[in-house]
Amino acid sequence: MRIARSIDIPSGATLSNLYREHKIEYPKFFKMDTLCKLGFLASELLLEGDADRFEPREDRAVLMFSRNGCMTNDINYEKTMADYPSPSLFVYTLPNIITGEVAIRNKYKGETSAFLLEEYDEGRMWAVVEEAFQDSVTTSAIVGWIDCRSESEWTCKAYLIER
Amino acid sequence: MEDLIKELKLSIIEALNLEGMTPDDIDDNAPLFGDEGLGLDSIDVLELLILLEKNYGIRLASPKEGQKVFQSVAVIAQYVTDNRTK
Repeated sequence: MRIARSIDIPSGATLSNLYREHKIEYPKFFKMDTLCKLGFLASELLLEGDADRFEPREDRAVLMFSRNGCMTNDINYEKTMADYPSPSLFVYTLPNIITGEVAIRNKYKGETSAFLLEEYDEGRMWAVVEEAFQDSVTTSAIVGWIDCRSESEWTCKAYLIER
Repeated sequence: MEDLIKELKLSIIEALNLEGMTPDDIDDNAPLFGDEGLGLDSIDVLELLILLEKNYGIRLASPKEGQKVFQSVAVIAQYVTDNRTK
């Protein structure tokens, strides 16, 4: 396995500007929480320009790792509970939604998994990636460490890994 | 009615995060759901239910009633006019 491409979205970047600069057309982006926006944008930048971009495929996995998961959105959702709990925030109170968003956008039907780790741990992440490649289907994976500590502070590194 | 329609459009844009849209982009009579019109989804329906209750004191009795009311902005405006409590 090798890292074919990588991307890093610096903490504090204005995500909507990034969306516009790269001429992405996916209005649902504006409904996502910060964690999903980061995962979505990272995958968009990784795959930008690929000719067969939206061909349905089963051989690409989406594996995301994080420490805080969707905690930032959970806090925002909790604030709405005193008045009218927000359905659109509730949707993002699961950290694995991030992998679903990327898979739906790109028509991937392969493995999608999200893992919460106590700390950034390259060894454990690599072990999970290696395991994903053990089946007879997976030939590549989008892998990310996306840890969203607030709406303006995060670590977002993503990789395209190929067999 | 014209003012209410504009007010509803602004509220819908804000509540549903319809980035880059203005009230002029929404046809009064265009369907809100499906491939035509705004293409809203089931989560958006829930946000619209909250919007009606919060802003106009209207609580819809059933999702079936919601289907009738959320046909277009013009239909919502008429429903609000007939049923608002605030």
